[in-house]
Amino acid sequence: MKNTLKVQRAILDLTQEDLANKIGVSRQTINSIEKNRYIPSTVLALKLSAVFKLPVNTFFALEEND
Amino acid sequence: MKGSKICERERIQLEKMNKFQLENHYKKVGFIAAIGSFAFMIAMKYFDNPVWLKPILEGVLLMGLLLISISKDKIEDEYIDSLRSQSYRLAFVFAILYALLQPLVNFVVSYALQQDNEYESFNYFQVLFFMLVVQLLFFWKLKKQH
Repeated sequence: MKNTLKVQRAILDLTQEDLANKIGVSRQTINSIEKNRYIPSTVLALKLSAVFKLPVNTFFALEEND
Repeated sequence: MKGSKICERERIQLEKMNKFQLENHYKKVGFIAAIGSFAFMIAMKYFDNPVWLKPILEGVLLMGLLLISISKDKIEDEYIDSLRSQSYRLAFVFAILYALLQPLVNFVVSYALQQDNEYESFNYFQVLFFMLVVQLLFFWKLKKQH
């Protein structure tokens, strides 16, 4: 699964730490999601969606092998 | 109806057990217990000690490692939880391999060195210590890698 978390974060001018604090996770978690090393749960995806004020599928997308 | 209620109660209890973790400050207690008992065990080699002391120290060391293992991180989120699960899975597999291979290695070594005495088997402490150490090392390694 690919994502544009970094882009959305840049649009809102948020650091990884800021975003992590907003959704109650560690900076490490945001970093791992951005680098596609970790696929977040639906709960976390919805929390991100609330911060970005965008539907989940605008910043998360399936890849061919998913 | 009654059966489904029992199943539901069991499911809730299992979920509670599965989510059980100690607060972060227990990690320090675990470190103190583990390092303290380990230092004592090393010191024991140089002094005469009663026989009953060794199993107690081994127990304290295992309890200390267990406290470190089941204590929360400062920020315990779903990602840390997934890394923790991965480390438990790896530790479980490695501990079984260790338990299967260790007697064989001991036998081969004692045979190669042509020791007359019977080759030493391993005890529960070795396996549990190995399992806990492997879990903690994999957990730290996974956290560092990501």
